[in-house]
Amino acid sequence: MRLFGLETEYGITREDLASVDPVVESMELVRAHLAATFERTWDYSGEDPREDARGFRAAHLQQDREEDEFAKLDAHRPFSFHEMKSDLVLPNGARFYNDHTHPEYSTPECRTLIDLIAHDRAGERIVQRAAARRNQALGGPHVQLYKNNTDFHGHSYGCHDNYLLPRSIPFDRISAGLLPFLVSRQIIAGAGKVGIEAQEQGFQPTAYQLSQRADFMETELSVDTMHNRPIVNTRDEPHADRSKYRRLHLIAGDANMCEYATALKVGTTRLVIDLIVRGDAPSMEIEDPVAAIKLISRDPELKQLVRRASGGTISGLELQAVYYGAAKQALAGNDEETDWILREWGETLALLAADRDQLVGRLDWVTKLWLLDTFVREERIAWNDPWLASLDLEYHNVNPERGLFLGLEAERKTVRLTKDDAIDAAMTAGPSDTRGGIRGQCVRRFPDQIKTIQWERVQFTGGLLPKVLDLGDLFEPDAVRMLSSILGTAGSPTEAITMWNQRKVQR
Amino acid sequence: MNRLASLERKERPFDPMPKPTSPSEEGGGPKRPDTGSPDKDSLMKRMKKVDPKQAERYRQRTGQ
Repeated sequence: MRLFGLETEYGITREDLASVDPVVESMELVRAHLAATFERTWDYSGEDPREDARGFRAAHLQQDREEDEFAKLDAHRPFSFHEMKSDLVLPNGARFYNDHTHPEYSTPECRTLIDLIAHDRAGERIVQRAAARRNQALGGPHVQLYKNNTDFHGHSYGCHDNYLLPRSIPFDRISAGLLPFLVSRQIIAGAGKVGIEAQEQGFQPTAYQLSQRADFMETELSVDTMHNRPIVNTRDEPHADRSKYRRLHLIAGDANMCEYATALKVGTTRLVIDLIVRGDAPSMEIEDPVAAIKLISRDPELKQLVRRASGGTISGLELQAVYYGAAKQALAGNDEETDWILREWGETLALLAADRDQLVGRLDWVTKLWLLDTFVREERIAWNDPWLASLDLEYHNVNPERGLFLGLEAERKTVRLTKDDAIDAAMTAGPSDTRGGIRGQCVRRFPDQIKTIQWERVQFTGGLLPKVLDLGDLFEPDAVRMLSSILGTAGSPTEAITMWNQRKVQR
Repeated sequence: MNRLASLERKERPFDPMPKPTSPSEEGGGPKRPDTGSPDKDSLMKRMKKVDPKQAERYRQRTGQ
Protein backbone atom coordinates (compact mmCIF):
# COMPACT_ATOMS: atom_id res chain seq x y z
CA MET A 1 0.00 0.00 0.00
CA ARG A 2 1.62 3.23 -1.14
CA LEU A 3 -0.27 6.44 -1.72
CA PHE A 4 0.60 10.09 -1.27
CA GLY A 5 -0.45 13.57 -2.33
CA LEU A 6 0.40 17.24 -1.90
CA GLU A 7 -1.82 20.17 -0.98
CA THR A 8 -0.40 23.58 -1.86
CA GLU A 9 -1.83 26.87 -0.66
CA TYR A 10 -0.65 29.64 -2.98
CA GLY A 11 0.05 33.21 -2.01
CA ILE A 12 -2.01 35.66 -4.07
CA THR A 13 -1.77 39.38 -4.66
CA ARG A 14 -3.16 42.15 -6.88
CA GLU A 15 -0.42 44.56 -7.90
CA ASP A 16 -2.85 47.23 -9.10
CA LEU A 17 -4.53 47.65 -5.72
CA ALA A 18 -3.18 49.27 -2.58
CA SER A 19 -5.31 46.99 -0.43
CA VAL A 20 -6.04 43.42 -1.53
CA ASP A 21 -8.95 41.30 -0.28
CA PRO A 22 -7.50 37.78 -0.43
CA VAL A 23 -10.85 36.10 0.16
CA VAL A 24 -12.39 37.69 -2.92
CA GLU A 25 -9.23 37.36 -5.01
CA SER A 26 -8.83 33.66 -4.20
CA MET A 27 -12.49 33.02 -4.96
CA GLU A 28 -12.30 34.89 -8.25
CA LEU A 29 -9.11 33.08 -9.21
CA VAL A 30 -10.64 29.64 -8.69
CA ARG A 31 -13.73 30.67 -10.64
CA ALA A 32 -11.56 31.94 -13.48
CA HIS A 33 -10.76 28.28 -14.09
CA LEU A 34 -14.40 27.64 -15.01
CA ALA A 35 -15.91 28.11 -18.45
CA ALA A 36 -19.42 27.86 -16.97
CA THR A 37 -20.98 29.18 -13.75
CA PHE A 38 -19.96 27.64 -10.45
CA GLU A 39 -22.12 24.79 -9.17
CA ARG A 40 -21.48 23.34 -5.76
CA THR A 41 -20.73 19.60 -5.84
CA TRP A 42 -18.03 19.14 -3.18
CA ASP A 43 -19.29 17.01 -0.29
CA TYR A 44 -17.84 18.14 3.04
CA SER A 45 -19.25 15.20 5.03
CA GLY A 46 -15.86 13.46 5.17
CA GLU A 47 -14.15 16.44 6.80
CA ASP A 48 -13.74 16.98 10.51
CA PRO A 49 -10.45 18.77 11.20
CA ARG A 50 -11.07 18.65 14.97
CA GLU A 51 -10.81 14.86 15.12
CA ASP A 52 -7.48 14.03 16.77
CA ALA A 53 -5.47 10.86 16.05
CA ARG A 54 -4.61 10.67 19.74
CA GLY A 55 -8.17 9.54 20.41
CA PHE A 56 -10.24 12.64 21.12
CA ARG A 57 -11.98 15.50 19.37
CA ALA A 58 -10.71 19.02 19.99
CA ALA A 59 -13.31 21.46 21.36
CA HIS A 60 -12.19 24.08 18.87
CA LEU A 61 -9.32 24.95 16.54
CA GLN A 62 -7.00 27.80 17.44
CA GLN A 63 -6.38 30.93 15.41
CA ASP A 64 -4.53 34.10 16.28
CA ARG A 65 -6.11 37.39 17.36
CA GLU A 66 -5.77 38.90 13.92
CA GLU A 67 -7.70 36.03 12.35
CA ASP A 68 -10.37 36.37 15.07
CA GLU A 69 -10.94 39.91 13.87
CA PHE A 70 -10.96 38.91 10.21
CA ALA A 71 -13.48 36.14 10.99
CA LYS A 72 -15.93 38.72 12.35
CA LEU A 73 -15.72 40.62 9.07
CA ASP A 74 -15.98 37.42 7.01
CA ALA A 75 -19.29 36.62 8.71
CA HIS A 76 -20.87 39.62 6.99
CA ARG A 77 -19.68 38.97 3.46
CA PRO A 78 -22.33 38.95 0.73
CA PHE A 79 -21.73 35.33 -0.25
CA SER A 80 -22.16 31.96 1.43
CA PHE A 81 -19.45 29.69 2.82
CA HIS A 82 -19.83 27.37 -0.18
CA GLU A 83 -19.67 30.22 -2.66
CA MET A 84 -16.55 31.47 -0.92
CA LYS A 85 -14.89 28.04 -1.04
CA SER A 86 -15.80 27.54 -4.72
CA ASP A 87 -14.67 23.93 -4.50
CA LEU A 88 -13.87 22.30 -7.83
CA VAL A 89 -12.88 18.75 -8.74
CA LEU A 90 -10.87 18.81 -11.92
CA PRO A 91 -10.77 16.26 -14.76
CA ASN A 92 -7.45 15.00 -13.38
CA GLY A 93 -8.98 14.16 -9.99
CA ALA A 94 -7.38 17.14 -8.23
CA ARG A 95 -9.23 19.53 -5.91
CA PHE A 96 -8.90 23.25 -6.64
CA TYR A 97 -10.59 25.67 -4.26
CA ASN A 98 -10.30 28.71 -2.06
CA ASP A 99 -8.98 27.40 1.24
CA HIS A 100 -10.07 30.30 3.40
CA THR A 101 -7.89 33.00 1.82
CA HIS A 102 -5.53 31.09 -0.43
CA PRO A 103 -6.08 29.28 -3.73
CA GLU A 104 -5.28 25.66 -2.93
CA TYR A 105 -4.43 22.91 -5.36
CA SER A 106 -4.54 19.36 -3.99
CA THR A 107 -3.03 16.77 -6.29
CA PRO A 108 -4.93 13.57 -6.96
CA GLU A 109 -3.62 10.62 -4.97
CA CYS A 110 -0.42 9.25 -6.52
CA ARG A 111 1.37 5.94 -6.18
CA THR A 112 4.74 6.91 -7.67
CA LEU A 113 7.00 9.90 -7.18
CA ILE A 114 7.17 10.61 -10.88
CA ASP A 115 3.36 10.87 -11.03
CA LEU A 116 3.34 13.09 -7.96
CA ILE A 117 5.91 15.49 -9.40
CA ALA A 118 3.97 15.68 -12.68
CA HIS A 119 0.76 16.47 -10.80
CA ASP A 120 2.44 19.03 -8.53
CA ARG A 121 3.81 20.79 -11.61
CA ALA A 122 0.42 20.44 -13.32
CA GLY A 123 -1.04 22.28 -10.32
CA GLU A 124 1.38 25.18 -10.83
CA ARG A 125 0.31 25.50 -14.44
CA ILE A 126 -3.41 25.17 -13.72
CA VAL A 127 -3.37 27.93 -11.08
CA GLN A 128 -1.22 30.12 -13.35
CA ARG A 129 -3.63 29.52 -16.24
CA ALA A 130 -6.47 30.67 -13.97
CA ALA A 131 -4.42 33.78 -13.10
CA ALA A 132 -3.88 34.50 -16.80
CA ARG A 133 -7.64 34.27 -17.43
CA ARG A 134 -8.37 36.49 -14.44
CA ASN A 135 -5.79 39.02 -15.65
CA GLN A 136 -7.33 39.00 -19.09
CA ALA A 137 -10.65 39.94 -17.51
CA LEU A 138 -8.98 42.60 -15.37
CA GLY A 139 -7.17 44.06 -18.36
CA GLY A 140 -3.60 43.72 -17.12
CA PRO A 141 -1.12 41.42 -15.37
CA HIS A 142 -2.37 42.37 -11.93
CA VAL A 143 -2.79 39.00 -10.19
CA GLN A 144 0.42 37.20 -9.22
CA LEU A 145 0.66 33.81 -7.51
CA TYR A 146 3.44 32.52 -5.29
CA LYS A 147 4.21 28.90 -4.46
CA ASN A 148 5.77 29.75 -1.12
CA ASN A 149 4.82 29.72 2.56
CA THR A 150 5.29 33.19 3.99
CA ASP A 151 4.50 36.87 3.44
CA PHE A 152 7.55 38.08 5.42
CA HIS A 153 5.18 39.74 7.88
CA GLY A 154 4.53 36.75 10.14
CA HIS A 155 1.76 35.06 8.11
CA SER A 156 2.32 31.54 6.86
CA TYR A 157 0.33 29.22 4.61
CA GLY A 158 1.04 25.60 3.99
CA CYS A 159 2.18 22.89 1.67
CA HIS A 160 0.97 19.68 3.26
CA ASP A 161 2.23 16.22 2.35
CA ASN A 162 -0.14 13.31 2.91
CA TYR A 163 0.46 9.58 3.19
CA LEU A 164 -1.88 6.59 3.51
CA LEU A 165 -1.03 4.27 6.40
CA PRO A 166 -2.62 1.21 7.99
CA ARG A 167 -4.83 2.18 10.95
CA SER A 168 -3.17 -0.65 12.90
CA ILE A 169 0.03 1.37 13.43
CA PRO A 170 -0.36 3.24 16.76
CA PHE A 171 -0.15 6.99 16.32
CA ASP A 172 2.38 7.45 19.14
CA ARG A 173 4.74 5.11 17.27
CA ILE A 174 4.28 7.17 14.12
CA SER A 175 4.92 10.51 15.83
CA ALA A 176 7.94 9.23 17.78
CA GLY A 177 9.50 7.82 14.62
CA LEU A 178 8.83 10.96 12.59
CA LEU A 179 9.76 13.82 14.92
CA PRO A 180 13.59 13.68 14.63
CA PHE A 181 13.28 13.04 10.91
CA LEU A 182 10.99 16.04 10.34
CA VAL A 183 13.16 18.29 12.49
CA SER A 184 16.01 17.62 10.07
CA ARG A 185 14.18 17.04 6.73
CA GLN A 186 14.52 20.74 5.94
CA ILE A 187 18.23 20.33 5.14
CA ILE A 188 16.98 18.63 1.97
CA ALA A 189 13.47 19.99 1.50
CA GLY A 190 13.70 23.54 2.85
CA ALA A 191 12.74 26.20 0.31
CA GLY A 192 15.09 28.80 1.85
CA LYS A 193 14.08 32.12 3.39
CA VAL A 194 15.59 35.55 3.86
CA GLY A 195 15.16 36.68 7.47
CA ILE A 196 13.40 35.39 10.54
CA GLU A 197 9.72 35.86 11.41
CA ALA A 198 7.10 34.51 13.73
CA GLN A 199 3.40 34.92 14.17
CA GLU A 200 2.48 38.35 15.52
CA GLN A 201 6.15 39.31 15.83
CA GLY A 202 6.79 40.41 12.28
CA PHE A 203 9.87 40.13 10.11
CA GLN A 204 13.47 40.48 11.19
CA PRO A 205 15.71 40.93 8.16
CA THR A 206 18.83 39.05 9.05
CA ALA A 207 20.68 36.25 7.41
CA TYR A 208 19.38 33.34 5.39
CA GLN A 209 17.73 30.18 6.72
CA LEU A 210 16.89 26.79 5.23
CA SER A 211 13.15 26.71 5.75
CA GLN A 212 10.13 28.95 5.28
CA ARG A 213 8.00 27.07 7.81
CA ALA A 214 10.40 26.36 10.69
CA ASP A 215 9.74 29.78 12.25
CA PHE A 216 6.07 28.86 12.51
CA MET A 217 6.44 25.51 14.29
CA GLU A 218 5.30 26.05 17.87
CA THR A 219 4.64 22.60 19.31
CA GLU A 220 5.46 18.94 18.72
CA LEU A 221 1.96 17.51 18.31
CA SER A 222 -1.36 19.21 17.71
CA VAL A 223 -4.51 19.03 15.65
CA ASP A 224 -4.17 22.75 14.88
CA THR A 225 -2.88 24.13 11.60
CA MET A 226 -3.39 27.93 11.76
CA HIS A 227 -1.96 28.72 15.18
CA ASN A 228 0.32 26.84 17.55
CA ARG A 229 1.36 24.79 14.54
CA PRO A 230 2.82 21.33 15.20
CA ILE A 231 5.76 19.48 13.69
CA VAL A 232 3.49 16.41 13.54
CA ASN A 233 -0.14 17.26 12.86
CA THR A 234 -2.58 14.94 14.63
CA ARG A 235 -5.62 15.58 12.43
CA ASP A 236 -7.48 12.32 11.94
CA GLU A 237 -9.32 12.63 8.63
CA PRO A 238 -8.48 9.41 6.79
CA HIS A 239 -10.58 10.17 3.69
CA ALA A 240 -10.79 6.37 3.47
CA ASP A 241 -12.28 3.44 5.37
CA ARG A 242 -11.56 4.57 8.94
CA SER A 243 -11.42 1.02 10.26
CA LYS A 244 -8.47 0.18 8.00
CA TYR A 245 -6.57 3.37 7.25
CA ARG A 246 -5.24 6.61 8.56
CA ARG A 247 -3.95 9.59 6.59
CA LEU A 248 -0.78 11.16 7.86
CA HIS A 249 -1.19 14.89 7.27
CA LEU A 250 2.16 16.70 7.62
CA ILE A 251 2.18 20.49 7.72
CA ALA A 252 5.81 21.25 8.61
CA GLY A 253 7.15 21.19 5.06
CA ASP A 254 7.83 23.98 2.58
CA ALA A 255 6.40 24.29 -0.92
CA ASN A 256 9.20 23.32 -3.29
CA MET A 257 9.93 24.67 -6.74
CA CYS A 258 12.69 22.11 -7.46
CA GLU A 259 11.23 18.84 -8.70
CA TYR A 260 14.15 16.98 -7.17
CA ALA A 261 13.49 18.50 -3.71
CA THR A 262 9.81 17.56 -3.89
CA ALA A 263 10.75 14.02 -4.87
CA LEU A 264 13.20 13.68 -1.99
CA LYS A 265 10.85 15.33 0.52
CA VAL A 266 8.06 12.88 -0.18
CA GLY A 267 10.31 9.95 -1.08
CA THR A 268 12.40 10.04 2.09
CA THR A 269 9.30 10.54 4.22
CA ARG A 270 7.69 7.55 2.56
CA LEU A 271 10.75 5.42 3.38
CA VAL A 272 10.71 6.57 7.01
CA ILE A 273 7.02 5.64 7.22
CA ASP A 274 7.95 2.21 5.83
CA LEU A 275 10.56 1.91 8.59
CA ILE A 276 7.97 2.86 11.23
CA VAL A 277 5.45 0.35 9.87
CA ARG A 278 8.11 -2.39 9.94
CA GLY A 279 9.30 -1.42 13.43
CA ASP A 280 12.73 -0.52 12.04
CA ALA A 281 12.77 3.26 12.66
CA PRO A 282 15.89 4.53 14.45
CA SER A 283 15.53 4.87 18.20
CA MET A 284 16.16 8.58 18.44
CA GLU A 285 14.65 11.35 20.52
CA ILE A 286 15.42 15.07 20.38
CA GLU A 287 15.18 16.88 23.71
CA ASP A 288 13.35 19.95 22.34
CA PRO A 289 12.18 19.37 18.76
CA VAL A 290 10.52 22.80 18.43
CA ALA A 291 13.75 24.60 19.33
CA ALA A 292 15.73 22.15 17.21
CA ILE A 293 13.75 22.71 14.00
CA LYS A 294 14.39 26.46 14.28
CA LEU A 295 18.06 26.09 15.18
CA ILE A 296 18.75 23.74 12.30
CA SER A 297 16.88 26.01 9.89
CA ARG A 298 18.91 29.05 10.89
CA ASP A 299 22.30 27.52 10.12
CA PRO A 300 22.95 27.12 6.39
CA GLU A 301 26.43 25.80 7.23
CA LEU A 302 24.68 22.76 8.78
CA LYS A 303 26.99 22.79 11.81
CA GLN A 304 24.29 23.50 14.40
CA LEU A 305 23.98 20.85 17.08
CA VAL A 306 20.79 19.97 18.95
CA ARG A 307 20.53 17.98 22.16
CA ARG A 308 19.40 14.37 22.16
CA ALA A 309 17.06 13.27 24.94
CA SER A 310 19.49 10.51 25.83
CA GLY A 311 22.34 13.00 26.20
CA GLY A 312 24.85 14.31 23.73
CA THR A 313 24.20 16.34 20.62
CA ILE A 314 23.65 15.76 16.93
CA SER A 315 23.46 17.91 13.79
CA GLY A 316 20.65 17.93 11.24
CA LEU A 317 22.93 16.33 8.71
CA GLU A 318 23.81 13.56 11.13
CA LEU A 319 20.14 13.02 11.99
CA GLN A 320 19.31 12.56 8.33
CA ALA A 321 22.26 10.23 7.92
CA VAL A 322 20.98 8.04 10.76
CA TYR A 323 17.59 7.72 9.05
CA TYR A 324 19.24 7.17 5.69
CA GLY A 325 21.38 4.40 7.14
CA ALA A 326 18.38 2.65 8.70
CA ALA A 327 16.39 2.92 5.45
CA LYS A 328 19.27 1.58 3.38
CA GLN A 329 19.73 -1.37 5.69
CA ALA A 330 16.04 -2.29 5.86
CA LEU A 331 14.62 -1.29 2.48
CA ALA A 332 17.35 -1.48 -0.19
CA GLY A 333 16.33 -3.67 -3.11
CA ASN A 334 12.60 -3.52 -2.32
CA ASP A 335 11.72 -1.87 -5.63
CA GLU A 336 13.12 0.49 -8.24
CA GLU A 337 11.67 3.66 -6.72
CA THR A 338 12.97 2.81 -3.24
CA ASP A 339 16.45 2.29 -4.65
CA TRP A 340 16.26 5.62 -6.52
CA ILE A 341 15.30 7.44 -3.32
CA LEU A 342 18.08 5.75 -1.36
CA ARG A 343 20.70 6.55 -3.97
CA GLU A 344 19.71 10.21 -4.30
CA TRP A 345 19.19 10.66 -0.55
CA GLY A 346 22.68 9.35 0.16
CA GLU A 347 24.23 11.40 -2.62
CA THR A 348 22.46 14.55 -1.44
CA LEU A 349 23.64 14.14 2.15
CA ALA A 350 27.18 13.54 0.95
CA LEU A 351 27.13 16.66 -1.22
CA LEU A 352 25.60 18.78 1.54
CA ALA A 353 28.56 17.80 3.67
CA ALA A 354 31.23 18.18 1.00
CA ASP A 355 30.22 20.38 -1.96
CA ARG A 356 26.74 21.84 -1.74
CA ASP A 357 27.07 23.97 -4.88
CA GLN A 358 26.56 20.75 -6.81
CA LEU A 359 23.01 20.80 -5.45
CA VAL A 360 22.09 24.05 -7.19
CA GLY A 361 19.05 23.25 -9.30
CA ARG A 362 18.17 20.31 -7.07
CA LEU A 363 17.46 21.77 -3.63
CA ASP A 364 15.55 25.03 -3.29
CA TRP A 365 17.40 26.47 -0.31
CA VAL A 366 20.75 25.88 -2.00
CA THR A 367 19.54 27.24 -5.33
CA LYS A 368 17.99 30.37 -3.83
CA LEU A 369 21.08 31.04 -1.71
CA TRP A 370 23.29 30.71 -4.79
CA LEU A 371 21.10 33.17 -6.71
CA LEU A 372 21.02 35.67 -3.86
CA ASP A 373 24.76 35.37 -3.23
CA THR A 374 25.39 36.13 -6.89
CA PHE A 375 23.06 39.12 -6.73
CA VAL A 376 24.62 40.48 -3.52
CA ARG A 377 28.04 40.37 -5.18
CA GLU A 378 26.85 41.89 -8.46
CA GLU A 379 24.88 44.71 -6.89
CA ARG A 380 27.19 45.21 -3.91
CA ILE A 381 24.32 45.24 -1.44
CA ALA A 382 24.23 44.02 2.16
CA TRP A 383 22.46 40.88 3.31
CA ASN A 384 19.92 42.92 5.27
CA ASP A 385 18.87 44.85 2.15
CA PRO A 386 15.06 44.54 1.74
CA TRP A 387 15.60 43.82 -1.95
CA LEU A 388 16.63 40.27 -0.98
CA ALA A 389 13.26 39.44 0.59
CA SER A 390 11.60 40.65 -2.62
CA LEU A 391 13.89 38.40 -4.67
CA ASP A 392 13.08 35.54 -2.30
CA LEU A 393 9.37 36.13 -2.95
CA GLU A 394 9.88 36.34 -6.71
CA TYR A 395 11.78 33.02 -6.73
CA HIS A 396 8.36 31.44 -6.07
CA ASN A 397 6.28 33.35 -8.62
CA VAL A 398 4.61 30.76 -10.87
CA ASN A 399 4.32 33.22 -13.74
CA PRO A 400 6.94 31.92 -16.21
CA GLU A 401 7.66 35.45 -17.41
CA ARG A 402 8.59 36.62 -13.91
CA GLY A 403 9.44 33.75 -11.56
CA LEU A 404 13.14 33.46 -10.75
CA PHE A 405 13.08 29.70 -10.33
CA LEU A 406 11.17 29.31 -13.59
CA GLY A 407 13.72 31.59 -15.24
CA LEU A 408 16.49 29.37 -13.99
CA GLU A 409 14.61 26.33 -15.23
CA ALA A 410 14.27 27.95 -18.65
CA GLU A 411 18.08 28.29 -18.67
CA ARG A 412 18.29 24.53 -17.99
CA LYS A 413 20.05 25.11 -14.69
CA THR A 414 17.66 22.89 -12.72
CA VAL A 415 17.24 19.15 -12.57
CA ARG A 416 14.03 18.01 -14.26
CA LEU A 417 12.46 14.69 -13.36
CA THR A 418 9.40 15.26 -15.55
CA LYS A 419 8.89 16.07 -19.19
CA ASP A 420 6.48 18.74 -20.36
CA ASP A 421 4.24 16.23 -22.10
CA ALA A 422 3.86 14.33 -18.80
CA ILE A 423 2.82 17.57 -17.09
CA ASP A 424 0.39 18.32 -19.91
CA ALA A 425 -1.09 14.84 -19.48
CA ALA A 426 -1.35 15.36 -15.70
CA MET A 427 -3.37 18.53 -16.33
CA THR A 428 -6.08 16.51 -18.04
CA ALA A 429 -6.15 13.06 -16.38
CA GLY A 430 -5.25 11.50 -13.03
CA PRO A 431 -2.91 8.58 -12.34
CA SER A 432 -4.12 5.38 -13.99
CA ASP A 433 -3.40 3.31 -10.86
CA THR A 434 -5.12 5.31 -8.09
CA ARG A 435 -8.62 6.36 -7.15
CA GLY A 436 -7.56 9.91 -8.05
CA GLY A 437 -7.63 8.79 -11.67
CA ILE A 438 -11.09 7.28 -11.14
CA ARG A 439 -12.39 10.53 -9.64
CA GLY A 440 -11.10 12.46 -12.63
CA GLN A 441 -12.58 9.92 -15.02
CA CYS A 442 -16.00 10.40 -13.39
CA VAL A 443 -15.68 14.17 -13.94
CA ARG A 444 -14.74 13.69 -17.60
CA ARG A 445 -17.21 10.91 -18.39
CA PHE A 446 -20.35 12.00 -16.53
CA PRO A 447 -19.86 15.71 -15.73
CA ASP A 448 -23.58 16.56 -15.71
CA GLN A 449 -24.62 13.60 -13.55
CA ILE A 450 -22.43 14.22 -10.50
CA LYS A 451 -24.53 15.26 -7.51
CA THR A 452 -21.71 15.33 -4.94
CA ILE A 453 -18.05 14.39 -5.00
CA GLN A 454 -15.20 14.18 -2.50
CA TRP A 455 -12.06 12.14 -1.82
CA GLU A 456 -13.75 8.84 -0.98
CA ARG A 457 -17.03 8.81 -2.89
CA VAL A 458 -18.93 10.11 -5.91
CA GLN A 459 -22.71 10.38 -5.80
CA PHE A 460 -24.60 10.59 -9.09
CA THR A 461 -27.96 12.20 -9.79
CA GLY A 462 -31.18 10.71 -11.10
CA GLY A 463 -33.52 7.90 -10.06
CA LEU A 464 -35.03 7.11 -6.69
CA LEU A 465 -32.10 5.24 -5.20
CA PRO A 466 -28.75 6.91 -4.49
CA LYS A 467 -26.05 5.92 -6.94
CA VAL A 468 -22.84 6.06 -4.98
CA LEU A 469 -19.42 5.02 -6.17
CA ASP A 470 -17.51 4.24 -2.98
CA LEU A 471 -13.74 4.86 -3.23
CA GLY A 472 -12.98 4.50 0.49
CA ASP A 473 -11.16 1.20 0.09
CA LEU A 474 -10.05 1.39 -3.53
CA PHE A 475 -6.27 1.22 -3.28
CA GLU A 476 -5.27 -1.90 -5.23
CA PRO A 477 -3.99 -0.89 -8.69
CA ASP A 478 -5.63 -3.88 -10.41
CA ALA A 479 -9.00 -2.95 -8.91
CA VAL A 480 -8.53 0.66 -10.00
CA ARG A 481 -7.81 -0.42 -13.56
CA MET A 482 -10.82 -2.73 -13.60
CA LEU A 483 -13.12 0.08 -12.46
CA SER A 484 -11.52 2.43 -14.96
CA SER A 485 -12.26 -0.03 -17.76
CA ILE A 486 -15.89 -0.24 -16.65
CA LEU A 487 -16.26 3.55 -16.48
CA GLY A 488 -14.77 3.81 -19.94
CA THR A 489 -17.44 1.66 -21.55
CA ALA A 490 -20.56 1.98 -19.38
CA GLY A 491 -23.38 4.02 -20.85
CA SER A 492 -24.37 5.59 -17.54
CA PRO A 493 -23.23 5.88 -13.92
CA THR A 494 -25.91 3.37 -12.91
CA GLU A 495 -24.61 0.82 -15.40
CA ALA A 496 -21.03 1.42 -14.25
CA ILE A 497 -21.86 1.01 -10.55
CA THR A 498 -23.92 -2.12 -11.22
CA MET A 499 -21.12 -3.70 -13.25
CA TRP A 500 -18.52 -2.71 -10.67
CA ASN A 501 -20.53 -4.19 -7.80
CA GLN A 502 -20.89 -7.45 -9.75
CA ARG A 503 -17.16 -7.60 -10.46
CA LYS A 504 -16.35 -6.93 -6.79
CA VAL A 505 -18.50 -9.91 -5.76
CA GLN A 506 -16.74 -12.10 -8.34
CA ARG A 507 -13.32 -10.99 -7.05
CA MET B 1 16.84 27.90 22.20
CA ASN B 2 19.94 29.97 22.87
CA ARG B 3 20.88 27.48 25.54
CA LEU B 4 20.85 24.76 22.91
CA ALA B 5 22.81 26.90 20.50
CA SER B 6 25.65 27.29 22.96
CA LEU B 7 26.02 23.63 23.77
CA GLU B 8 29.32 21.94 23.07
CA ARG B 9 29.21 18.58 21.38
CA LYS B 10 29.42 15.87 24.00
CA GLU B 11 29.26 12.80 21.88
CA ARG B 12 28.98 11.92 18.23
CA PRO B 13 26.89 9.08 16.90
CA PHE B 14 28.52 6.53 14.64
CA ASP B 15 29.51 8.05 11.31
CA PRO B 16 26.77 6.98 8.91
CA MET B 17 27.44 9.84 6.51
CA PRO B 18 27.38 8.60 2.93
CA LYS B 19 30.31 9.54 0.72
CA PRO B 20 29.87 11.33 -2.63
CA THR B 21 29.85 9.00 -5.60
CA SER B 22 32.00 9.50 -8.63
CA PRO B 23 30.22 10.28 -11.92
CA SER B 24 30.66 6.67 -13.02
CA GLU B 25 28.77 5.49 -9.93
CA GLU B 26 25.78 7.79 -10.39
CA GLY B 27 23.54 5.07 -11.78
CA GLY B 28 20.24 6.09 -13.35
CA GLY B 29 19.78 9.28 -11.36
CA PRO B 30 19.29 12.74 -12.86
CA LYS B 31 22.25 14.47 -14.46
CA ARG B 32 23.77 17.44 -12.70
CA PRO B 33 22.97 20.73 -14.44
CA ASP B 34 25.65 23.14 -15.49
CA THR B 35 25.37 25.80 -12.79
CA GLY B 36 28.41 27.93 -13.38
CA SER B 37 26.53 31.15 -12.75
CA PRO B 38 23.14 32.65 -13.57
CA ASP B 39 22.93 33.92 -17.13
CA LYS B 40 23.89 37.58 -16.88
CA ASP B 41 21.80 38.56 -19.88
CA SER B 42 18.52 37.06 -18.77
CA LEU B 43 18.21 35.86 -15.18
CA MET B 44 20.25 38.65 -13.58
CA LYS B 45 18.28 41.10 -15.69
CA ARG B 46 15.09 39.50 -14.41
CA MET B 47 16.36 39.79 -10.83
CA LYS B 48 17.25 43.45 -11.24
CA LYS B 49 13.72 44.18 -12.45
CA VAL B 50 12.25 42.97 -9.13
CA ASP B 51 10.93 45.90 -7.12
CA PRO B 52 13.01 46.13 -3.90
CA LYS B 53 9.83 47.00 -1.98
CA GLN B 54 7.77 44.12 -3.34
CA ALA B 55 8.06 41.96 -0.21
CA GLU B 56 7.27 44.94 1.99
CA ARG B 57 3.94 45.40 0.18
CA TYR B 58 3.12 41.69 -0.01
CA ARG B 59 0.54 40.82 2.66
CA GLN B 60 -1.34 37.59 3.16
CA ARG B 61 -3.74 36.28 5.73
CA THR B 62 -2.70 33.30 7.80
CA GLY B 63 -3.35 29.99 6.08
CA GLN B 64 -2.93 26.46 7.29
